[in-house]
Amino acid sequence: MFDSVLFLLSAILIVVGSLGVLFIKENIMHACVALLTALFGVAGAYAVLGADFLAATQLVVYVGGVVILMLFAVMLTGGGAANENKFGIEKIPAMGNVKTYIIAGVNVLVISLVVIKIMANVMQDYKAVALPAYESTVEKLGTLLVTDHVLAFEVSSILLLGALVGAAVIARPIGSTK
Amino acid sequence: MNEGLISFLSQFDGHKAFVKMISDFAGTDATSTISFFIYLAACLAVVGVMATIGGLGTYAERKISADLQARQGPNRVGPFGLLQMLADGVKMILKEDIIPSAADKPMFIMAPMLCIVGVFGSLAVVPFSSGFILSDLNVGVFYLLGISSLVGVGIFIGGYSSNSKWSMLGGMRGASQIISYEIPVTLSIIAIVVLSGGMSFGTLIGGQGGFPHEWYILHNPFTFIAFFVYFIGALAETNRAPFDLPEAESELVSGYHTEYTGMRFAFFALAEYIEVFVVCGVAAALFFGGWKVPFDLGTGEAFSALPPIIAKNIGQILQLGSFFTKTLLLYYVVIWIRWTLPRLRVDQLMTLCWKYLTPIALFNLIMIAVWAYAFDGKSMFELFTAMGSGSTGGH
Repeated sequence: MFDSVLFLLSAILIVVGSLGVLFIKENIMHACVALLTALFGVAGAYAVLGADFLAATQLVVYVGGVVILMLFAVMLTGGGAANENKFGIEKIPAMGNVKTYIIAGVNVLVISLVVIKIMANVMQDYKAVALPAYESTVEKLGTLLVTDHVLAFEVSSILLLGALVGAAVIARPIGSTK
Repeated sequence: MNEGLISFLSQFDGHKAFVKMISDFAGTDATSTISFFIYLAACLAVVGVMATIGGLGTYAERKISADLQARQGPNRVGPFGLLQMLADGVKMILKEDIIPSAADKPMFIMAPMLCIVGVFGSLAVVPFSSGFILSDLNVGVFYLLGISSLVGVGIFIGGYSSNSKWSMLGGMRGASQIISYEIPVTLSIIAIVVLSGGMSFGTLIGGQGGFPHEWYILHNPFTFIAFFVYFIGALAETNRAPFDLPEAESELVSGYHTEYTGMRFAFFALAEYIEVFVVCGVAAALFFGGWKVPFDLGTGEAFSALPPIIAKNIGQILQLGSFFTKTLLLYYVVIWIRWTLPRLRVDQLMTLCWKYLTPIALFNLIMIAVWAYAFDGKSMFELFTAMGSGSTGGH
């Protein structure tokens, strides 16, 4: 019973938050907070599945890091209603015209085909079973991360290095040679 | 599901008999229902006690600052002014709830709630004693770090939604400070996690003993440094002086809560004082042996002449005493530091974090990992005694 309650709460958070991200137009800060709600709900969903470490990581990385940084960025570039004409989403020409809708549609089609291809194997022999008994996932995750998936682990750190270099390049004053 | 209050209670015959009685009466297995109600009662107790400690924190702050400045402090309401917090609470509740007309109303209302939720959420894993911990999660420390970052979001949103320049600057400073200082704090915590081999508070405290030489702070030189890195970072994360830049009154009026009145302001203040208690409790658990009592009195085996339920509970009370003593002493140090040191500048704050604390914490993490590998996790004291007994060290 408790699991069902937790699942319902997380599901409501995810759905309401995601809809909020989509349909809150007048204030981008509110959309950010709606995203926070959705990510919090995802952490709850992980907790329902017994993935305790993943749930805590979701909280640390997204709630603690990503959303604060997004709020920060929005605030620095001016996201309030007063700045709508200057920075509002509708005024950015690359967003929301026919071309972008076509590109987005094609993207959605490709990605959903890939996802369906992956999910099909899981769904074909799907039987409703009770969740396995709860056990800690930390050790398994740690072992997998430095054995089977060590390449992905290292490649993602190179991605972070790239992001760091990019930030340094962007932040450097234009025309400076030093 | 996890170790915690229920697994402590279920070792007693009385609890089993009670569960059986209710199950027979209801005709179904009532174990989970009873667990739910026990948790409900325990959560209400923890929240009540913590709110009181938060309130007494404001009293302690004034009294200690008065001591340090040779003043009297609050002494009118109740004995020694102890009921000052009730007077404050009544004042806060009766005040008019002002929401600035240009404020972002839903977010203005949400901000103090986020702060309170973040702090009370972190209380779920604070280890008050070996039996009285609401849930000894496998990822206890990690969960605590995650859920308490909601406080940062709350401060930031509070600053933004007030639509005031003071609040805005305070919120910005708060967010940047909290994000920055999370790194050395987390690295110091990870160092201790490496040493003890687990993230649950049960494992972390289980690796220590009742005496100072068995605590992790005196385990090796690097944990000694790690404690100070953690403590400085924790001061900054809870926005305590000398890092209280988000509410620096000489430049920002009152920072992110300038526009808040009444209970909404009280929520911010309460969240701050309870968060200080939580970080002090984590410091006590990670570095000062948590609820461990000397001579293993906490397990209750020393009182085996008494019935087991009484003996165990005497042990639990001793453990609670041990934990609260350590935590409240650290709490005193936090207040003491606030009234001793002057406030840092913003650039000094960032320099301290990124140029000093983060490299030191990284170095510490590596050295503690090396220590744990080289000496098989043995402490300085164990190596010392091994040397004395003529054996070949820790290998």
